[in-house]
Amino acid sequence: MGRSSKNEPVFMQPAIFITTSVLVGLLFALQEWMSLRHMGYHVHPVIFFECWGFQFLVWGAICWLLWRFFGSQIQRANIQTILTVFLPLSVVISLAQQMLWVLIFPNLPLNHPETSYWRRLSIYIYAELLNNMLIFWCAFLLFRGIGYYQRYREHEDAKSALEVQLANAQLAAMRMQLNPHFLFNAMNSISSLMRSDVEAADDMLEQLSCLLRMSLERGEAQLIALREEIEFTEMYLAMQGRRYAGRVEQTMRVDAELYDALVPSMLLQPIVENAYVHGLSKTEAPGMLVLEGRRNGPQMRLTVTNSGIGLNPRTDRDTDRRGVGLRNIQKRLELHYGGDSHFDITQIDARHVQVTIVLPLHYPANETRPIARFGTQ
Amino acid sequence: MIRTVLADDEVLARQKLRQLLTENEDVEIVGECASAREILELVELTTPDLLFLDIRMSDSDGFEIIDALSANANSKRPQVIFVTADDKFAARAFDIHAVDYLLKPFTMERLQAALRRARERLASGIAGANGQSVMREPHRYTTRMVFKSRGRILFLPVSDIRWIEAEENYVRICTATESHLLRETIGRVESRLDPQIFLRVHRSAIVNLHYVREVINEADGDATVMLMSGEKIRMSRSYRSRIRKLISA
Repeated sequence: MGRSSKNEPVFMQPAIFITTSVLVGLLFALQEWMSLRHMGYHVHPVIFFECWGFQFLVWGAICWLLWRFFGSQIQRANIQTILTVFLPLSVVISLAQQMLWVLIFPNLPLNHPETSYWRRLSIYIYAELLNNMLIFWCAFLLFRGIGYYQRYREHEDAKSALEVQLANAQLAAMRMQLNPHFLFNAMNSISSLMRSDVEAADDMLEQLSCLLRMSLERGEAQLIALREEIEFTEMYLAMQGRRYAGRVEQTMRVDAELYDALVPSMLLQPIVENAYVHGLSKTEAPGMLVLEGRRNGPQMRLTVTNSGIGLNPRTDRDTDRRGVGLRNIQKRLELHYGGDSHFDITQIDARHVQVTIVLPLHYPANETRPIARFGTQ
Repeated sequence: MIRTVLADDEVLARQKLRQLLTENEDVEIVGECASAREILELVELTTPDLLFLDIRMSDSDGFEIIDALSANANSKRPQVIFVTADDKFAARAFDIHAVDYLLKPFTMERLQAALRRARERLASGIAGANGQSVMREPHRYTTRMVFKSRGRILFLPVSDIRWIEAEENYVRICTATESHLLRETIGRVESRLDPQIFLRVHRSAIVNLHYVREVINEADGDATVMLMSGEKIRMSRSYRSRIRKLISA
């Protein structure tokens, strides 16, 4: 019941369905008329077209009503329902159709004048009941077939939609490996240091290599242990610490029980980068950056707080660019956790901005193996 | 003098090593080579003390060269410092007793640390790298560890460790300048360390006695271990008498 017209095949439109049914009836009429002619009987063709056409008009209407009101029951019926509901229904409908038909054509069968209605009905039931039931069951099978086909299509559509989604997620993840913008800025810093401080350039190059190694080692993993993300962020902070010549006090406080918890890779680094690009770099004053991770019941709460110039959309010309990086994180959180995650950026006072991420707490299914080896030589 | 051979198939890689090593007056570069065959000839000819070896060279890998050097009974095996862009072979290098494992690009500081360890080994007469990894002797204590931290490979002599703290499923290993988080239990680490040097002072802490300045008694009956660097580590009552004995000894 209540079938959505969107998924309905075109031939189940009432006008088209019933017209088709009548045409099938007319073909049967033509066949019978011709076969009788062939056998030497000459009957006026109109009588054939009338009775066959009427019969299939009624069947078309019955079948369409079946589809309209019992279509989904037909598609879902199990063998028990078929035997207890649809088999009796097929008999009742076939009888009713036949009764109507006999009523409409009082002169049939031909050459049986003055025969009573019940007598004529019994003649036709004898001859036609099985045919009628056959029509009913053909319609029944057709509707069930349509159901299977529709479900198959829906399944296929869902599958391909899922594949597209997956591909997009992978693309997004690949884009997030290491921000090229950051990479080239870092190389530019190294290039600059090469002229002024070779040792510092060397150190920074080594740190950049460490970041690249960590990034490559993760490969395409979407979720990694928070500890790995922190290691990566630490190395990034070490590099930034050099660029900002100790002007920024960096603090990191993360609950040890969160070390193994899974987070999307490259979650923190873009936020910390944002804190530098849009906050700490905008002022000459000593600054602070605090990264905290706390367990909060079944969730973890990560915050990055930085000093700088606060959030001021009217004077911050980089708002759009800030938006892209953080929106990307937000999008990935939604992709991973649906509505179970939370992300926001707030100004806690005139000089401090805080990004907060709340995630459901998940741990990897299999134990991470120890990474250290001991030697005695 | 530390007679040294540089082996890398890239000219610039050898040049970097050569330039950085000139600052060390006790290092004498006796030869450079770019292929496995050259290395074997050069080592036999010059019997160096130290070999800087790239693991991936065009005609063979570094471990094959170590095998070949070990097979040659006539020549003394040099100490080996691997210099490579590849971090996959660190554990293997550790097992065949390489001095260190430098990941390219490395800094001067990192090279100096490797050189310092090579000097110590040469001074103490420890044999150089050999092809077979030695069976672990269960009764001897760990002298060094290998692990990865922040994209780096560390062959860390345990004598560099000042203290170790447990953090849930991890231990934090603290040296003079850095701390490293390892997925290990403090009990497992403790069992590997020499108890004459490393002392468990708390359920979640081990200190290196060489770096302990004093033990301070607190008003509540507990105590605090003060390290030479100024860090304070809480101490459980049950461990107090042991540390007194060890420090005074």
